[in-house]
Amino acid sequence: MSGQNNPTALSATYGKKLRFGGLAKNLIMPAVLLAFAAYLAIGIVTMTVPEGTSFPGPGFFPGLIATGLAIFAVLLIVRAFRAPHAEATGDGSGEKVDWASLAWIVVGFGAFIALLPVLGWIIGAALLFWAIARGFGEHRHIRSLVIGLTASSLVYIAFDMALGMSLPSGILGWEF
Amino acid sequence: MDTLQLLGDGFVGALSLQNLLWVLIGCVLGTAVGVLPGLGSSMAVALLLPVTFALDPTAAFIMFSGVYFGGLFGDSTMGILMNTPGQASAIASTFEGHKMALDGRAAKALATAAIGAFIGGFIASICVVFLAPVLADFSTKFGPAEFFALAVFAFAATSTVVTDDTVKGLASLFLGLGIAVIGIDGVSGAQRFTMGSPYLFDGISLVTVTVAVLALGEVIYVACMERHIVGKAIVRPKGRPWLSKSEMREALPAWLRGTAIGLPFGVVPAGGSEIPTFLAYGVEKRLDARRKDPQFGKGAIRGLAAPEAAGNSTTGMAMGALLSLGLPISATAAIMLAAFQQYGLQPGPLLFDRAPDLVWSLLASFFIAMVVLLILNLPFAMLWAKLLLIPRPYLYAGITMFCAMGIYASSGSTFDLAMLLGVGIVGFLMRALDFPLAPLIIGMVLGPLAETSLRDAAMSANGDFSVLVQSPIALTLYGVLLVVLGFSVVSRLRARRA
Repeated sequence: MSGQNNPTALSATYGKKLRFGGLAKNLIMPAVLLAFAAYLAIGIVTMTVPEGTSFPGPGFFPGLIATGLAIFAVLLIVRAFRAPHAEATGDGSGEKVDWASLAWIVVGFGAFIALLPVLGWIIGAALLFWAIARGFGEHRHIRSLVIGLTASSLVYIAFDMALGMSLPSGILGWEF
Repeated sequence: MDTLQLLGDGFVGALSLQNLLWVLIGCVLGTAVGVLPGLGSSMAVALLLPVTFALDPTAAFIMFSGVYFGGLFGDSTMGILMNTPGQASAIASTFEGHKMALDGRAAKALATAAIGAFIGGFIASICVVFLAPVLADFSTKFGPAEFFALAVFAFAATSTVVTDDTVKGLASLFLGLGIAVIGIDGVSGAQRFTMGSPYLFDGISLVTVTVAVLALGEVIYVACMERHIVGKAIVRPKGRPWLSKSEMREALPAWLRGTAIGLPFGVVPAGGSEIPTFLAYGVEKRLDARRKDPQFGKGAIRGLAAPEAAGNSTTGMAMGALLSLGLPISATAAIMLAAFQQYGLQPGPLLFDRAPDLVWSLLASFFIAMVVLLILNLPFAMLWAKLLLIPRPYLYAGITMFCAMGIYASSGSTFDLAMLLGVGIVGFLMRALDFPLAPLIIGMVLGPLAETSLRDAAMSANGDFSVLVQSPIALTLYGVLLVVLGFSVVSRLRARRA
């Protein structure tokens, strides 16, 4: 199958080979898998099972899953150590992680979550818009704030007021 | 005749002015999101999922069908014009489609795709109308062992057949299964993996995970990796988007062959429509090589027509399998299933008895969506290309805002937003490290079904697991699974030699 030369996303099922940090990057996902397997294992051990539960109880299926996760993590780790470290794929134009962008988006979204109950939807979402646009390299701050504010107000009008979904009004606190 | 009567009632229900409006909105939105670079049809459905909860079920599903088919069309439009298919199922169409565009026949390529999608989808919808009630009837014979076999089938197919890397596919599947077991156990009432937090009693919402993985994870990915890759130029379509008689005659057999190849794959849970699209492409290529004047490689109209029809016929049939068996065969179908569950409806044999109005209006709206899309896309396909003028920062910032709005509005708590961010980061990692995402969604959707049927079957036999392989239906399913797996191994070996 092809698809390796398409720079734009082939979302759900396809990905691209990336090259950051050789071995370390191949150990990220196994670490996530192992952590999740451990969380499940601890949960199974500490679970309070109600009396009189017959054999395949609540811990049985999660046990299978935790085992599977651990096995696949080990397989991936073994593969990571056996694979040659410098991958010879791509045209060498350098696909690196833009850490600043990553920080703007993740921290921006985190701040949005923390501040949403205080600021309310309209202001909070406008700031979120600004932070994400900043993460995408937009430096015209006033412009992106104005567009963000317009978008968040439109969303508020359409979904909160017209369709009746509930969004927090926060410090603006207007009653409609 | 009974079926036609019911379908007629469905049309009466679906053809109200309001519902027509929803189909239209769905088609426009779906195509728009599909056309935007990097956004595929499954993201379109994921983004709109929380929003539709504000509508009544019938209107919501009618809009969904528009979004779904519109998104598919948008995927291949971008594949043809920019060589960037929005979704894996549009890759096969891109090979010859983009060559046609480079050859100055972009408008014709778009028309071929639109008509192919129409034919494939229309024929599939007819089959669904007659087959779905039969399938639903048949599936009333299913017990826990059979449902477990079905789930295993779907797991194996999505995580191994469709993906390039089996270990990564299975890892992704198990992550999904693991997320699904969090929450109070329905059978025994035990709290599982909740850390005593009431937010986790009901488990992690499928909507949150879907939006996180397919939308937010994608935004992060594009921001810090993909946008630094040099983009490609778009081919500006010129000329009338219509085919001459000889071109129609050339494409017609390919459309029909593609449709025929796609249909059976919609019922077999083999993971969506990429296999049939590649199969249809391969068949046309082999047939073409026998002709005096092979067209492949130069922008063969048949090389575009067949996969496009195949993709849509699989997608259409998949809706039938979803409605009658409750079995999603692709990530998008899984999201639809989540939507049904959100409304308290369980697709499967009982749905046809419990909510016939909804089912038949939905089936009728498939036909309407096909027609609307054909009308919308033949003359205006080039207009969609204008969407590319939206600056990327604003586009993705808007998408992020939309994700946040949907999740907050459907749950009403910032806890779900935090979950959205956390799972979104995992989704980004998977995306960046080449892990397939569809198995995770399928695992999460079908995990509970697999677990309950496994435990029910074993409990009724006093803990004896051999009960799982005793019924003829279950054995047949495992048999078919082996054939599918064998087939995929063979075709992969062949592809490696080629």
